Formats: sequence, C-alpha cells, structure tokens
Amino acid sequence: MNTKVQHMTSKSDNASAPRMPSIFSVYRSELAIAAACVVLLVGVGIFVPAALSSGNFSNILQASAPLVIMSLGVLIVIITGGIDLSVGSIFSLTGMVTALAMANGFDEVTSSLAGLAVGVIFGSINGILITLVGLAPFVVTLITYAVAASLAFIVTNGRSLGVNSPDYWLLNSGEMIPGLPNFVLFCLIFTIVLEFVLRKVTAGRWFYSIGSSPVAAYLLGIPVKRTRFAAYVISGTMASFAGLLTVSYILNAEATAGASLMLQAIAAVVIGGASLSGGTGSAIGAVLGALMITIIQNGVNLIGINSFWQGSVTGLAILVAVLIDRFSHQ
Amino acid sequence: MKKLVKTILAAAASVLIAQGAHAADKKFTVAYIAPSLDIDYWQWVAHGVQQKAKELGMDYVEYTSENSPAKQMDNARVAVTRGVNAVVIGPVSSTSTPPLLSFLAQNKIPVAFAGIGPQPGQTNFTSSVTANNYETGLAQGKYTCELAKERGGKEVGMLSLPQDRENAQKYLKGAKEAFAANGCDLVQILETKGLTINEAVTQANDLLTAHPNVKAIYGMYDQAGSGAAKALATRGLTGKVGVTVADGSPTTIQLLKDGAIQGIFFQEAVGQGIDATQQVYNALTGAKTTQNMALVMPLVKAADIDSDAAKKVIARVFPQ
Repeated sequence: MNTKVQHMTSKSDNASAPRMPSIFSVYRSELAIAAACVVLLVGVGIFVPAALSSGNFSNILQASAPLVIMSLGVLIVIITGGIDLSVGSIFSLTGMVTALAMANGFDEVTSSLAGLAVGVIFGSINGILITLVGLAPFVVTLITYAVAASLAFIVTNGRSLGVNSPDYWLLNSGEMIPGLPNFVLFCLIFTIVLEFVLRKVTAGRWFYSIGSSPVAAYLLGIPVKRTRFAAYVISGTMASFAGLLTVSYILNAEATAGASLMLQAIAAVVIGGASLSGGTGSAIGAVLGALMITIIQNGVNLIGINSFWQGSVTGLAILVAVLIDRFSHQ
Repeated sequence: MKKLVKTILAAAASVLIAQGAHAADKKFTVAYIAPSLDIDYWQWVAHGVQQKAKELGMDYVEYTSENSPAKQMDNARVAVTRGVNAVVIGPVSSTSTPPLLSFLAQNKIPVAFAGIGPQPGQTNFTSSVTANNYETGLAQGKYTCELAKERGGKEVGMLSLPQDRENAQKYLKGAKEAFAANGCDLVQILETKGLTINEAVTQANDLLTAHPNVKAIYGMYDQAGSGAAKALATRGLTGKVGVTVADGSPTTIQLLKDGAIQGIFFQEAVGQGIDATQQVYNALTGAKTTQNMALVMPLVKAADIDSDAAKKVIARVFPQ
C-alpha cells in the first residue's frame, strides 16, 4: 500500500514537472513569525536597550527551552488532528519522580530514566485509549492530565523536592559542545530531527496524512493506529524530557511546575502555523511560536508591565499570527 | 403484659444511659478548610491544625476548596452536616468570607482563620491568626535596603505575590515605606502568577537585565527567594546582590546557609494552624479567646540559623 502512495506522488510530480521550491515559499509562515519575533524584540529594545543584549538572548533561550521541547511533542499530536492536554502534568510528575528517585539514593541516570518513563507510560496510556478503545483525545488526555497532576502531589505528599546531586545541573547547563549550552543543543537536535522526519521521511508524512483525513490515510495503507499511538508516546516523552531539563536547571522539583505550560505549548504550535484540525504545522514554526511566547513574557517583564497582562498580550499575538498565516496563503 | 412493659422500659432506659455515656465521651471534631492543598504553605497549616487537634484530643477532618468560593461554601455545609464542632479555615479570599461566617454562625460553629483573615468589618468569628504583613513588609524592606547599601547601591527590585491579595498589598505598603525612609529606590516589581521557582528565576533574570544596578532583591514568597538565588548564581552574582525572602522552607534555609540568601522572614504556617485550633477549642470549652492575632515574622540570618531561638521559630514554620 505504501508503494501506492509513492506511485501516486511520483505520477503527480511528473505531471506537474516540479521545480525546487524556494525556502521562502516553503517557510513563508515561519519567516513571518520570525519577523514578528524580531519586531517584538526591537520594540522592547526601544524601551529597554538591555533587551537586545546577549545576556538577554541567553535568558530568552533558557526560559524557552522546556516550552520548545514540549511544543515539538505537542506539534506531532496536533498534526494528526489530536490534542494532548496531559503534557503539563507529565512535566510536573516527571520532575517529582526524578527528584524522589535521587532523594532515595538512585544515581542521576537511573533517576532520569525513571522520570522519562513517566512520559512513555502516560503517552502509551493516551495512545492506547485513543487508538484501541476509540475514546476522544480531548477526554483521554484530560483524564491523564488530572491523574498525573494528582500523582505529582501524591508521590511526595505535595512537598517540593530539592536535588542534591552535585552534577545534575550539567544535563541542562553543561556544554557537550564547547560554547553551546546543552539546553540549546537539545532544542536544536530535536528541531532539526523532527523537521527532517516530518518533511523528508515517509513515516513523518503519515502524521500529516492522518491529520488531513484519517479515512483516506487508512485506505492508502498508512498504519493509522500505530502512527497516532506513536504521536502520543512521543508527546509524553518530550514533555518528560522538558521536565528533566527544568529540574536540572533549578535543581528543584515542584508539583505545579508544568501547570501553565500545557496551554502555552498548544499556543506555540498554533502560533507556529499548525491547525488544530490537523494536517499542517512544522517543527520550526512550533519553535518560533514558543520563542514568541517567551519573548512576550520577557518583554512584559523588562518593560515592567503588570504580568497579568501577559495572557492578553499572548492572546493578541496568537490572533496576529493566525491572521498573518491566513493572509500569507492568499 | 406487665413483663413486656418492664422489658421495653428497661431497654429504653439502657439506650438512654448508653447515649448519655456516649455524649459524655464525645470528642470534638475540628474541620480544616484549606483554600487549596497544592501549595506547601497550606499543607503546613494543616499539619499544625492536625498536630494541635491530636494534642487536645480532637478528631480532625480536612477539606480543600480548590481556590473556589463556591467549593468553600459547599465544604462548610458538608462539615456541618457531618457534625463537626469547630472550623479552622484558610479562606479562598477575604471577600469570600461573609456568607460563610453567617452560615457557620447560624449553626453555632466557632470559626478561626489561619493565614488569611476575614473581610474587614466582619466580627462573627472566634479568632483570626495571620501574619503581620505590614510590619513584616517594613522590616524586610529596611533589611533589604541595608543589604543594597552594603553592596554599594540603593536600587532594589521586588518579586511580589499577586497584588490582588490583601496580604501582598500590606507587604508592599510596608516595604515601600521602608525603602523611602531608608533612601532606597524600588525600581521594579514583578508579580508572580504561578508561584513556581522556574517562573521566579525567569523574572529575576529579567529584573537584573532591565536594572543591572539592582543591589538587593526583596522576595515576597518562598519560591521568589529560590528563584532569585538561582538567577544570581547563574550570573556569578551570589552575595554581590542581596536577597531577602518571606515565608521560609527547607530549600531557602539551605540557601541561607550557603550564603545565597541573606535573610528569611519566617511565616509560622504550622504555628498559625496550632494557634487557630487552640482558639476554637477555647471557644468550645468556654475558655478565653483572642479575636485578632497578628503574628510577627521573625528575621533569621545565616549566622543565627543554628541557634536555639531559630530552631524554635522553624519548628512553627514547617513540619520537622
């Protein structure tokens, strides 16, 4: 059946005698968002010149890293036409499990794997209930969101936990490549790999096909259930990894750490050009969306606007991004 | 027939005697209604209530209002239905308390507040055990300003609780007065939304980027102190910019010992639970009660942290 897809594609390609699309046409939405980010930064810089300093860029990158990684996971689910509301709770529970494991004498690697297992397990539960049982993604991930949030309190009776391991900060702030902090490196690797898989690998294109039309995808022989299952497992695992990075950064785990991240991740993906009805979106767009949200938060803080305005400003940014996306396609 | 009447009377008498004996043995039950239990502080108040209830021979039940005034009211009704004798409450907000107090007063249930007090003007409650936020704001502002001056500057920044809270407004009022009186400039206030360390790190970084001459940071809540300390450590500024914090926890105590924080104004969460429970017990037993108890928040510096006085304070802050 896969051959059928390839055959159809090549036939269509031959018929239209394709030319290599330019980077501007492929990444039109992303470029618009990148431009908006630059405009925002320069705008803030007019009020607070330090906004354009290298130190502030470093702040923005550090603050956005967990959101970037979580957004990439959520992106895959949204491309398939699903939704994952559990990522914030998975993020929190991962931190608590990791810190608890270390507090009980486990080494950093084992503890981190235990934390990552949270994402794999919850992602798998989401995937099984959605693909095999046939429940709606919104309902399933709402349930796992509630359960993981509850477990984040239960595992330590609600107490926040410090991480005493002296080297654990290296996961986030160490430099495997000199001059490039690990949190930036991880973001780059995940973005490049995901963008490549989504654009160039057949299995990556399956996510789009399922998001565009699950029935058509099924008729074309795409393993719809397995692919959707994989999307939720990847999303959960990425949320867990984002949780690990944050614990490594602040050397502390809190049961509410991810509470605000879930909506931000979905917003980042939408700002990045993905449609909640599925079938569209790119890794670069999601990353830019996450950066835009962080730049807005950073700018609001730097200028000294009451932080309660952040939600309104972010909402407005989403509106502007969606409008830019709409008009850029006309 | 006579025998049957005698038997019935004997049975009725024994039931009455048994009920009387049960009433004499009956333990009081205190309900603790928390605004939410996802914040350490309210768990620690709960611990204090539970600890004191046990000491006084009272039964303990716990409810959480999940930050909803409606749920808070439902909890009060459930507690009354369940037959509790007294209520200790950390209300969702001061403004949510009037209908709750009316309802509990109708049912003759003594009520003590812990952590957050009732709406000003309310009098139908037994006791309100809170921190003296204004005085703490003054003291913390003065000490923060001293730290800034010791470090060769007069600019200070603040990581604040949301200013829609009455306690945050009182802290800020006291702090502003202290800064003005001691010659410091409060150059920026950033309010938290999530009360997490991660958010506080980001805010402290932004504060220091916008105002590089800040020489001391006033943390109005515990996570603010941890976040500021982390941001300063990343920038290599530990000790070069002073940090003070209100509340106190094992995390900030360790930071104090490490020299990353210069002073903690401890809020006695466990102590508030203990004192509030004692007050409702006094009301139930006819002993003297005190309607307004504004507890001071003592300052502990790194040098004093292992003293007996500090240990006594810390025992009333969080469960040991």
